[in-house]
Amino acid sequence: MGESKVGAVLVVGGGVAGIQAALDLADSGFKVYLADQSPSIGGVMAQLDKTFPTNDCSMCILAPKLVAAGRHPNITLITNSEVVGLNGEAGNFEVKIRKRSRYINEDKCNGCGLCAQKCPVEAIDTYNKGLTDRSAVYVEFPQAVPLRFKIDREKCIGCRTCQEVCKANAVEYYQKDSEVILNVGSIILAPGFEPFDARLKSEYGYGRYQNVVTSIEFERILSASGPYGGIVLRPSDGEIPRKIAFVQCVGSRDAQLGNNYCSAACCMYSIKEAIIAKEHVPTKLECTIFYMDIRAYGKEFDAYYKRAKEEYGIQFVRSRVASITEDQSTGNLFVHYVGEDETPRIEEFDMIILSTGMQPPKDVEKLAKVLGIKLNKYRFCETGAFTPLETSKPGIYVCGAFSSPKDIPESVAQASAAASKAMAIIAPERGKLVTVKEAPPEIDVGQEEPRIGVFICHCGINIGGIVRVPEVVEYAKKLPNVVYAEDNLYTCSDDTQKRIREKIKEHNLNRVVVASCTPRTHEPLFRETVREAGLNPYLFEMANIRDQCSWVHMHEPEEATEKAKDLVRSVVAKARLLKPLKNPTVKVTPVGLVIGGGVSGMTAALELANQGFEVHLVEREKELGGHLKKIYYVLEGEDPQEYLRRLVKAVMEHERIHVYLGASVVEVNGFVGNFKSKILHNGEEKQVEHGIVIVATGATEYKPKEYLYGEDTRVLTQHELEEKLAEGKFNAKKVVMIQCVGARNEERPNCARICCGQAIKNALKIKELNPDADVYVLYKDVRSYGFKEEYYREAAAKGVLFISYSDEKKPKVTNESGKLKLAFWEPVLKQEIQMEPDIVVLSAATIPNPDNKRIAEMLKVPLTKDGFFLEAHMKLRPVDFQTDGVFLCGMAHSPKFIEESISQACAAAARAATILSKKELEMEGIVANVDEDLCSGCRICEYLCPYGAIEMKEKDGKLVAHVIEALCKGCGVCGTACPTKAIILGHFTTEEILAQVRAVLKEMEAIAA
Amino acid sequence: MSSQKEFEPKIVGFLCNWCSYAGADLAGVSRIQYPPNIRIIRVMCSGRIDPAFILEALKNGADGVLVAGCHLPSDCHYISGNFKALRRVTLLKKVLEEFGIEPERVRLEWVSASEGDKFAAVVRDMVEQIKKLGPNPLKMEAKQT
Amino acid sequence: MAQGKLKIAFYWAASCGGCEIAVLDINEKILDVVQIADIVFWPVAMDIKYKDVEAMPDKYIDVCFFNGGIRNSEQEHMAKLLRQKSKILIAYGACAHLGGVPGLANLHNKKEIFEKAYMSTFSTDNPNKVTPKPKVHVKEGELEIPEFYDTVKTLDQTVEVDYYVPGCPPAVERTLYAIDAIAKGNLPPKGSVLAPLKSVCDDCSRKKENKKISKIYRVYEKVPEPEKCLLEQGILCMGPATRGGCGARCLNADMPCTGCGGPCPNAPEQGAAMISALASILGLEEEKEKYTEDEVEKLVTQIRDPVGTFYMYGLPASILKRKVMRE
Ligand code: SF4
Ligand code: SF4
Ligand code: FES
Repeated sequence: MGESKVGAVLVVGGGVAGIQAALDLADSGFKVYLADQSPSIGGVMAQLDKTFPTNDCSMCILAPKLVAAGRHPNITLITNSEVVGLNGEAGNFEVKIRKRSRYINEDKCNGCGLCAQKCPVEAIDTYNKGLTDRSAVYVEFPQAVPLRFKIDREKCIGCRTCQEVCKANAVEYYQKDSEVILNVGSIILAPGFEPFDARLKSEYGYGRYQNVVTSIEFERILSASGPYGGIVLRPSDGEIPRKIAFVQCVGSRDAQLGNNYCSAACCMYSIKEAIIAKEHVPTKLECTIFYMDIRAYGKEFDAYYKRAKEEYGIQFVRSRVASITEDQSTGNLFVHYVGEDETPRIEEFDMIILSTGMQPPKDVEKLAKVLGIKLNKYRFCETGAFTPLETSKPGIYVCGAFSSPKDIPESVAQASAAASKAMAIIAPERGKLVTVKEAPPEIDVGQEEPRIGVFICHCGINIGGIVRVPEVVEYAKKLPNVVYAEDNLYTCSDDTQKRIREKIKEHNLNRVVVASCTPRTHEPLFRETVREAGLNPYLFEMANIRDQCSWVHMHEPEEATEKAKDLVRSVVAKARLLKPLKNPTVKVTPVGLVIGGGVSGMTAALELANQGFEVHLVEREKELGGHLKKIYYVLEGEDPQEYLRRLVKAVMEHERIHVYLGASVVEVNGFVGNFKSKILHNGEEKQVEHGIVIVATGATEYKPKEYLYGEDTRVLTQHELEEKLAEGKFNAKKVVMIQCVGARNEERPNCARICCGQAIKNALKIKELNPDADVYVLYKDVRSYGFKEEYYREAAAKGVLFISYSDEKKPKVTNESGKLKLAFWEPVLKQEIQMEPDIVVLSAATIPNPDNKRIAEMLKVPLTKDGFFLEAHMKLRPVDFQTDGVFLCGMAHSPKFIEESISQACAAAARAATILSKKELEMEGIVANVDEDLCSGCRICEYLCPYGAIEMKEKDGKLVAHVIEALCKGCGVCGTACPTKAIILGHFTTEEILAQVRAVLKEMEAIAA
Repeated sequence: MSSQKEFEPKIVGFLCNWCSYAGADLAGVSRIQYPPNIRIIRVMCSGRIDPAFILEALKNGADGVLVAGCHLPSDCHYISGNFKALRRVTLLKKVLEEFGIEPERVRLEWVSASEGDKFAAVVRDMVEQIKKLGPNPLKMEAKQT
Repeated sequence: MAQGKLKIAFYWAASCGGCEIAVLDINEKILDVVQIADIVFWPVAMDIKYKDVEAMPDKYIDVCFFNGGIRNSEQEHMAKLLRQKSKILIAYGACAHLGGVPGLANLHNKKEIFEKAYMSTFSTDNPNKVTPKPKVHVKEGELEIPEFYDTVKTLDQTVEVDYYVPGCPPAVERTLYAIDAIAKGNLPPKGSVLAPLKSVCDDCSRKKENKKISKIYRVYEKVPEPEKCLLEQGILCMGPATRGGCGARCLNADMPCTGCGGPCPNAPEQGAAMISALASILGLEEEKEKYTEDEVEKLVTQIRDPVGTFYMYGLPASILKRKVMRE
């Protein structure tokens, strides 16, 4: 095999990061194996109720991704597995994977769940964090992908009930573990994290006191699908709590435990849980959060924090909780802590939530050993300051919480970034291992009278046990245009697919209806089946007579049977009107346009070029480098200037990158796959064609108006200080740094994220140059998240004094006859302190590039209130815009450290590659179309489309609307608004839905009378 | 014409695919029982629900119409279809009132993919409410003429 | 068409009479009509009795222009009779087509209307509370007047209609178009509305730019900018949901369209179409900030008299047809 490369990637870990990486790779033409230890994918996110800072429902946004990964032709799920061996090298690995037995044949099981219903055993439900029970044969959660059951052999009593009831004969009681060998070109590690085991923090009583729960348990308690159906109850007595507390940093920032890092997401999830708890508890609920620093450093996080305080009245107490004790008679708890005034206090609560930190999963050492990668001292994966995605072994990449604790959007961005890295080294192999399905030519059903075949599923006894299926079949046969109807034990089984295809031929069917479970999971399968039989896949429709009928009316067989008939009738009425739809396609120009030549823009350009695409890189200034030009040190020790030089060289020398300096993009036309833009360069306009755009316009440092900046030369910004330090021009003995200048205020409510790190970095540098120098840092919260926490400790240990201030008592800087004076409030001593520093350093906020507005208008993409670019979805689409084909990264998104910008830039490149790697983009056939004979140019639809898919074009001297099919997602908002109904949404036309409405009601009437 | 058997309302539900339909599915998977009075019609987004569909359902004898979509403000799979549904249904209810039809017969609810229990509760509650309101008055009218 | 001159009839049912005038509005073209046609029945202009019509053989009339909706027994009788006697029956004008303004009576029933008209208005003095009865005994014998119905119906809810000429009253060009098509014998398929497919917006020359509105003005509250789309200025215009072909007469006079052209061909209902369109753009700009029940309520209550706005001409032809009355 030697040097030949393999166009396949193994992704280890099926949480949201692993899924994202797998999807990006698979969408870019690579074969993906997605391996996970647990029986289904989804990871921790599947257990969450809501997500911050938008309070989106977690399952709502995750489920479509689960389904997409589960059904992707280029993704193979290897669940219940572990990596046990590795050979070969980057580009060509051989990985050995052990698949643990499910005791259920995955190919036969169709997830109907009969076995679990009949299983007599009650086992602990790990999905609900042990707060409820489940049976010994189980799926982790109802939306599990793959929806295949598993027997928990530890709990199983061997009664064989499941084997008897399973109609699919899927139970294999003696199934053995098996091994597979995979040949892949690169590997991505995304094993995620494990919550800290709160028992180890014994002074908090977790495990002893029932009403002390962890945050993830509380997440389940909050969830509507959780143990108490979304009602907040305390475990000891099922009472609704009235007073709860959150204790932060449990297992994080804890030297005693050796966890000297910050888990980065706990502050925000506690705030979120407190908000949701308040919303879920009908009576008054008091929430208190005990914290050391509130690290709301992410995009729009501070605004969320503020709302928590002001709108929801959540109490925040700055204190490390010493211990928790219990009142045994009531189950109430006492929190012992030292108040902000240094006096010891005790407060009583009904329930306490421990914000447990993140730590690497148990078996990572084993994994690291098998793969030969290095871990850091906390057992996280070791990475470099400028190589956040590379493990110590070439060809193996890392993303998500395994490289450092992080929240969902950062994990998702890193996942895409790792995908970019993983595909770059095997770029020439793109498309070689993916499966392309051949289907027979489509039969033209044109004007033919509808001939409908109806297939009705018993789903074992899930449907048939309640609904009288044969009766429904007989009923269906009498419906107009139905020429064939039958029942099946499992309509979704392989042999039924064959049967459906045969029946289509035999009876010349030109429409197919299946009445079974939910189209959300099964429609794609049946569409494929009818397509294989030569029918257009949209000539298919489903009635849900299980999830929305037999399962919810289990004690009313009569009514359920009638309802099933109604539903079938309604769907048949729609099926009669169904029209074949074509999946629109657009050609793709395999070229990228990157706006901005800072570290993000350069990285994105380089990634795309390394993947084989041509790139135009446009920088406004005369030189590449952007913000990075001003950075001389990083906390981790590497040399950023050296890194910059290497990066610039690589970009300038790359044959596929065209760099335009002192240039700007002045016009962008077109849409995904087909942009035409104008670049103004050296006084000339150059037109370029490209398939995607990446916005990497960076940000700038705020020029402070406060604290005498600009008036007194002894007041400088962190950047200016850094320059002095680097140039050896620094000689001050007493330095005061003031944090949050131009951030977290009325005008800019959000945190600028990087200033705390900057301050610590420069403070350490000062101490290095002169250990005797006095350095004071006046802060609101020290937000040294993740591993940056270590440097905070180091600075404190080296004598840098950190003193908090509040908005009410801001420090004052004055110039008294030439003397620089500073006054600040010392909260512990409770008095004002005066001093005469040599210099005052302002940690000035990072603020959006003033050019953002113009660029946003040009690209028709939105900005946040603060003026940064607003991504498509704060959680799951961090580098995409709502408009397809346009991406963002780096400080254009929000302030970031270098490694974070690098990750995001790689992510943007990977997302872009999912488009550029295709000759043609194929879209879903369900799109809107404008009938130009009806459209009267009223423009009502134009601004309704959330994707900018509607444009007005001229026809016969008048305007008519036009839907850019490539951008349309088929929501139907436009057509529903269109007053002439000139816009028709395929597969959900007004006629079709009206026919459904009429049919569904028609005979109910007769039956009722 | 009263006092035969108890009046069983007929409810048509228009549910968006991504949250509410998923929530109804979850009710099923969790075997949460609710009265069999509702018939669901799936659309991709609540923003596809045309006031004409609701009127047509009422005309054809529906005693109640449920319109359900993803939670405001940010759950809609298509970003903002639910806002359109909100305004359309609110305006339509005004019109219904003038048509002499109790606006409570039309109900707008936000149901997420994890709110199987909420979906069931909404149906239960709606059935109760509509039983109190009595049959769709248009049906009585139809019988008279 | 038959050889020789066409036999034409006009009839006036529940309408204001404007349609009759509209026929004359075609001015000198009326002479052309007379060239090709004989008018065999036109109560407003000629003395021909109902019984003369009854005496005509079936399908004797080539084309009957019927204006007005059906709100009493006489009108119903005449609709049936004229259907029987005519080869082509044309619903002429909004009332025959959709019920028209008189159709707004469907917000009430006979009882309410009689109470209002014969008892409770200021100028009424009717101490004995006499209301019209179909049959009255007077000295001379029994008098019969037509029976007043609870509900106004469109012509096609009473008899089969071949063509529709929309408008209140129909625009001159619509009438001419119909006459021309009849004369030349090139009528479209039966059941067609003799108007273009597009909405009034297509006729309207005002500039349309950005249809996001947050405030609604009533006509008297604002002097509109002359060139700009009225709806974009917050003046509620039914044009987008109304079938055009009228030359946007009202818009040219700075008045919003009130919808007399009826629904566009693909729309299930004109009212619903406008409700959906308007609710979509109203408050669009700030929808992500203002979405509480109160805020949305405030937005939509800006629309005064919703049924009168969205169904001014089309109530009887709407999906629900009328208000539900309860005793
Ligand atoms: S809303 Fe309808 S009629 Fe108006 S511009 Fe859009 S497609 Fe044309
Ligand atoms: S269907 Fe939705 S996505 Fe498509 S053009 Fe209309 S509004 Fe846009
Ligand atoms: S997708 Fe659910 S409301 Fe839009």
